[in-house]
Amino acid sequence: MGFGVSGSTAVIFLGVLIASGTLYTAAAGNAERISEASDAESEELLDRRNTVIDATEVVYNNNTTTLTVTVVNDGSTTLSVEDASLLVDNEYVQPSERSTTVDGDTDTDVWAPDTDLVFETTRSSTPSRVKVVAENGVAASNTTIEEVS
Amino acid sequence: MADVSVPSLILFIASIVIAAGVAGVLIDTVTGISGALDDRGADVAENIRTDIEIISDSESNVYDDGSGNLTLYVKNTGRRTIPATGESFDVIVNAQYQTDVSVSVADGGSEWTPHGVVEVTIGGLDLTSGEDHRVRLTVDGDEETFRFNYEQ
Repeated sequence: MGFGVSGSTAVIFLGVLIASGTLYTAAAGNAERISEASDAESEELLDRRNTVIDATEVVYNNNTTTLTVTVVNDGSTTLSVEDASLLVDNEYVQPSERSTTVDGDTDTDVWAPDTDLVFETTRSSTPSRVKVVAENGVAASNTTIEEVS
Repeated sequence: MADVSVPSLILFIASIVIAAGVAGVLIDTVTGISGALDDRGADVAENIRTDIEIISDSESNVYDDGSGNLTLYVKNTGRRTIPATGESFDVIVNAQYQTDVSVSVADGGSEWTPHGVVEVTIGGLDLTSGEDHRVRLTVDGDEETFRFNYEQ
């Protein structure tokens, strides 16, 4: 009887040990994954809070049918030029249909704080509303369109 | 001597077998719970990484009365690529679930990558002019509400 009790206790203890090992691995892996995702999320939130953009000037040239949109990065986050979206009259302008310039540089993807990003696209008529959305969803719109000819 | 050892041996074996059975059930149950926990954790991490933003302006021209189509541009502001299909979206317009939802990538890419833009077209609508309307998009637990006033 004595051997039976100690033997079965040992077996049950072994079972508990293996079970807690499995559970701990799963729980620890999970906690790490979720905290990693939340960390990245809060970092992105900080970036978003530090992002301010302002569509300062929108000019439509009647002769060349060119629309020029100047947006200034007023925040402290460096943004991506390629990932910024331009909407004219609530219509998305594809990246292939627009050209971008940051302080005279047409190739760069870096839209640094305190620099102007200039979009150029062609439109058949004067638009009434222009909206620029940065990569993280921060938006600026302008409804005062200057016309030149 | 033999009288005592045989029943003892039987009891010993029986107790070991029962203990092994209990331990086996315990391990099996806990493995199941661990698996479920793992799946749930992956889901939650994915939900945290998903973030979308409706970038269309609240203007009347999002809705086309002739075709009954409502078109919205949605930007992926999260950190994971979302499948650009109607099944990814749960769309509710004025408290009614919509099934006629088509999604196409607007920025020229083939996938809805982070920072990409898709065009969501909700068909088969009949919105009343001069009233406020409410559209709710849900993608993997991330909800966005879009309100606009439609004037013909």
